[in-house]
Amino acid sequence: MSAVKALCQKEWRISLDTPQGYVVSIAFLLASGFFFGGNLFLNGQADMRHWFAVLPLLFIFFIPAMSMRLLADELRDGTYELLATMPTRTIDIVLGKYLSLLGHITLLLGLTLIYPLTLSLLGDIDMGMTMASYVAAWCLAACFAAICLYASALTSQAMIAYIVGLMLLLFVFLISQVAPTLPVAIQNVVVLLGPINHFQSMNRGVVSLDDMMLFVGVTTVFLTLTWFELERRRWR
Amino acid sequence: MIKADKLCRKYGDVFAVQDLDFEVKRGEVMGLLGPNGAGKSTTMKMLTCFLPPSSGDASIDGFSLSESLQVRRRVGYLPEHAPSYHELDVQAYLQFTGKMHGIPKATLADKIGEMSRACGLEQVMYRRIEELSKGYRQRVGLAASMLHDPACLILDEPTTGLDPNQIVEIRKLIRHLGEQKTVLLSSHILPEVQAVCDRLMIIDKGQLQAMGTTDELAKQAQGGARLTVILRNHVSQTLDALKSQFADIEVGECNDIDEQSSKCAIYHPDAGFGLAEEVFKAAVANDAILLEMRSEHASLEDVFRNLTGVKS
Repeated sequence: MSAVKALCQKEWRISLDTPQGYVVSIAFLLASGFFFGGNLFLNGQADMRHWFAVLPLLFIFFIPAMSMRLLADELRDGTYELLATMPTRTIDIVLGKYLSLLGHITLLLGLTLIYPLTLSLLGDIDMGMTMASYVAAWCLAACFAAICLYASALTSQAMIAYIVGLMLLLFVFLISQVAPTLPVAIQNVVVLLGPINHFQSMNRGVVSLDDMMLFVGVTTVFLTLTWFELERRRWR
Repeated sequence: MIKADKLCRKYGDVFAVQDLDFEVKRGEVMGLLGPNGAGKSTTMKMLTCFLPPSSGDASIDGFSLSESLQVRRRVGYLPEHAPSYHELDVQAYLQFTGKMHGIPKATLADKIGEMSRACGLEQVMYRRIEELSKGYRQRVGLAASMLHDPACLILDEPTTGLDPNQIVEIRKLIRHLGEQKTVLLSSHILPEVQAVCDRLMIIDKGQLQAMGTTDELAKQAQGGARLTVILRNHVSQTLDALKSQFADIEVGECNDIDEQSSKCAIYHPDAGFGLAEEVFKAAVANDAILLEMRSEHASLEDVFRNLTGVKS
């Protein structure tokens, strides 16, 4: 586990020390603030339902930007060769990268806690439901992070990793939007396996085991795919 | 220390390395020489467990490549172009490398201090790697590869892209390291391997062409004994006597130095024949004066050209 921790620390250092890290963070906070403030005064209600409805879209655009360089840059700069020849397992590399990304997202989500705190001063906000929605948002972000880390392992070009990550997340989002128009059999599959559908069900304030299992499952599948992709590169 | 046994690596249907057998002894500096695309980097990538071999095996310090974690603990590797995290400063980069190698926190600072002194990095410890010159980056790579005190160092073209002063410094450093560690370094710069390595092997098209010390390889490439002699008086009689006595002796070009003296090249296909002795005896017997006799050696450049099929 020391390798996972060392990798995490290194990624944090690069994220916080370089413009590419904090520009994305500031842009995310500005965009989320815009959607929070705009809807708040439009509705005149002390709730965050509209903000949580927009949050998946923010994730779709910003999580690929946070993750794109994580493995692609290592592959481009040849530093992956260094990592892979250190006495660490490939799974440690995947976990170290993933946890650093998840930490970055958690920090940003944590900073948005200022919104419910502000609302609680202005009106009567349902804190229980808001916190359940935060848990749902964190689970969705964790799942998206694994998908985007996989995109970053597919290429040595960070920009291509961004586009692939964005397309994968857009597919996940759009399939759940068009699900009602699809044949019933496909609809059932989308409802069962679509992270957005499970996010929406958790967002109603009910955190069920099914939803959690789905997020854990999708995250595990994409981390495994990332591991597989890194191993496959060695055999090419 | 390093032993390769029929090591092969294929990319698709093409062999990058084929049936490579060699051994590097403990404490030896071995040069891996070959033209671009000969399979030097692929060999090193296999020895450092980055690429799995298609067939065959190698062992490092007694551990087979299949025991990958054990091998990686014992190897320090500097890939070609010395990649590193340019956004980090030297101190942070070395700390990261140390932690990845599992060096305990209590000794890490000492290790970093020791390696930064050995590689001359003390002045740049808090500068970002992207701000450093190529020579310094190379040194950072070397320091990082030695931080966990590996028994064996594998360096892929450690002086590529450096200026002549930096090349001399890095060579000195490698020579110094070679006193305590087993070093395998690749290069296509001939004077470099001559200056740094105890032994060298030449590979081409993925196959081992020759292995030995520079002198051994030169002799091997030369194939026989080659002398340049300057004789005075009775030159042609002496040479004719030599040729009639030994059918294998060939006399090459002869240039007259003055009316009585000539400079000639004499060759015998057997290096152990004692050509110098016979030339001396013939000169004495024919009343010629031997003014000069010099044994000619093939240079490493000749060896390289012969073995890798590059014609000048």
